[in-house]
Amino acid sequence: MATSYSGYMGKVLELDLTTRTAKEYPWTDEDRRLYIGGKIMAAKILDGMLTGHEDALSAENPVVISTGPLTGTGAPCSSRFNISALSPQTGIVASSNCGGTFGYHLKKAGLDALVIRGACETRSWISIENGEVEFHDAEADGVWGLRVTPAQERIEELLVQKWGARRAFGQLVIGPAGENLVLYAGVTSDERAAGRTGLGAVLGFKNVKGIAVFGNHEITVADPVRNAAWNKRFFKTLREHPLTGKQMPRMGTPGLVSPMQMRGMLATRNFSAGRFDAFDKVSGETLAEEANVANRGCVSCPIRCSRTVELDGQLVKGPELETLGLLSANIENDDLNVVLRLNHALNELGMDTISCAGTLAWAMEANERGLWECGLSFGSAQELEGIIEDIAYRRGIGADLADGSKRLARKYGGEEFAIQSKGLELSAYEPRRAVGMGLGYAVSNRGGCHLNGGYLVIMEGLGLFCDPQTPKAKADMTMMFQDLMEATAAAGQCLFSTYVFFPSMLITRPRGLVTTVVNKAAPHVGWALRAINKFPRAVHMHMPILPHTRSFEYATGMKMKMGDFMRSGERGYTLERYISQRFGISAKDDTLPKRLTDTPQDPADPTTKVPLDELKQTYYEARGWTPDGRPKVSTLQKLKIV
Amino acid sequence: MPSNDIPHVHVKLFGLFRLDTGLHELDAQARRVKDLYPVLLREARAGNPATTITRADIDGCVVLVNGKQSKKSTKLSEGDTVYLMSPVCGG
Repeated sequence: MATSYSGYMGKVLELDLTTRTAKEYPWTDEDRRLYIGGKIMAAKILDGMLTGHEDALSAENPVVISTGPLTGTGAPCSSRFNISALSPQTGIVASSNCGGTFGYHLKKAGLDALVIRGACETRSWISIENGEVEFHDAEADGVWGLRVTPAQERIEELLVQKWGARRAFGQLVIGPAGENLVLYAGVTSDERAAGRTGLGAVLGFKNVKGIAVFGNHEITVADPVRNAAWNKRFFKTLREHPLTGKQMPRMGTPGLVSPMQMRGMLATRNFSAGRFDAFDKVSGETLAEEANVANRGCVSCPIRCSRTVELDGQLVKGPELETLGLLSANIENDDLNVVLRLNHALNELGMDTISCAGTLAWAMEANERGLWECGLSFGSAQELEGIIEDIAYRRGIGADLADGSKRLARKYGGEEFAIQSKGLELSAYEPRRAVGMGLGYAVSNRGGCHLNGGYLVIMEGLGLFCDPQTPKAKADMTMMFQDLMEATAAAGQCLFSTYVFFPSMLITRPRGLVTTVVNKAAPHVGWALRAINKFPRAVHMHMPILPHTRSFEYATGMKMKMGDFMRSGERGYTLERYISQRFGISAKDDTLPKRLTDTPQDPADPTTKVPLDELKQTYYEARGWTPDGRPKVSTLQKLKIV
Repeated sequence: MPSNDIPHVHVKLFGLFRLDTGLHELDAQARRVKDLYPVLLREARAGNPATTITRADIDGCVVLVNGKQSKKSTKLSEGDTVYLMSPVCGG
């Protein structure tokens, strides 16, 4: 089904694993206008397939792997692709976003997205060349059972044998954790991971070890001259911005360990505190000084945020902030080398570092409280490498740990300190010192995720410093950032590109007059944000703070002003919620563990807990949802969802 | 020459300030946080003559004294530990 828009390849392939057949999935230009691509496109496709009775680990769970229209167009940070399906952790619609080269090569193969249904009868890997699908025997080919890097190397070896030459291609694989249905197994492309929500287990259940894509289609843009000129400017903006041009290239995401410590939001000892005395032993500065040997970046990215470290004579991917924080402060481990080892083991076994680390922290506390005698304890991280391996293969206590903290707490008790929401473990930001982030964790469509939750920590201490304890305006800010990031991801760009939303001066001059005014005024402008969220046509223009919309227009030829962009994001966010309602999701599920809502982080300061009930109600109002957290019919109609 | 009645404090540095200058920590005498700034600038330039760090950059630092959020006007006491983090790293 060809398209009149550039940027898109004009074809979505539906693959039935059970029958080993492929056909084109109908996707129109009207769909492209409303649902852009990436995770919003995936939500629309899943909306038509899910009834509310499907199980994540079943052949009935469809998987959508989708790109954005900017993927491969030369726009900065545009190598992203998305995987959406029912999550085995949350039981509802989940999305996981990934860098690497798979998205680019999927488009070179002539496809905007893959819709995968059914399940392979035998263990398989799949290759797609210029839209032609071939199934391969993963056991006979020696791919099944391999860890992530050897699996990618083996698939490359097999393709080179077949082609008789080396070619640039993209692939994604699962590791042993996905094969063994660890509920938080991820999917990896190159060294990047769609780590969250357990979609590796979904592919593992379907007997799919990996997918390789190759093609020589041309990715066209609507206005090549303006597109190139604008992207050059966009690159320059990113290179000159203090966060994307200095902070991220120098320290990557680990650079946030120190500011989080300063602000009391570095999750420590299973989120019982916000500061870790030994934080500097595992800080981004120490990582940069002692371990980082090179930076890496995705295709067409000027930021190059990924760390490369040396481990046992090998160059391997270094930890991200979440991993660093949760495998150090949150389990009281002050040995950076141990973090590097655990991070590498998790990456190679194909597991979400956040959920695994959060589950281990729960187990340590449960053991110390005598709820579950598993032998794990805070401050003893040396033996965890073996435990992680046991999780991936579901051996010993690993069989229990592979199910995550929510299910463990149901089995053994200790739900009040199982730090998860909807079954997904929280990231490393302690929300009692950033209550807007607490709201985001609770209402996030995919569970306890900082990004899907709106990443309000950037307003509450890690960029600006709007009163982190006040609930004022936080619901409206959360909605705005969620929608902007939703649309950015759907277009195919990395969320780090949205840092340019914050003018440099606000970041580099935190005590300057303008920054001070913004910090003081922000909690009082909820009404203005509400008005913009409600009437995005009010910003029917391109804004300098959001260069993405011009990239979008020049690449696709589709009109996309800031207001349209926000509305698309709102549509995607609400659509995911609308689907999850079929699986019983409502306000009762938008929760945080009691530790975060009932116990102040600082016993002397009662504001240092998340006032979740108050925040949630304002959030539902802002979104046009009922007090029970269900999108109103009028909201669904306004967004053209029904 | 600082007099003996000026508090002796220990300063630890974070963020790009530290990476640019190689300066991790130092001992100094200061009555208030802001009195540390000229010392820091001098030490930063000694550590890396090519540093682009300015007084305004140091002015914007996030400050913790003994683990508590503080301002540049905060009075210091003998034996205090001061954390300073360059603004780009989370101002």
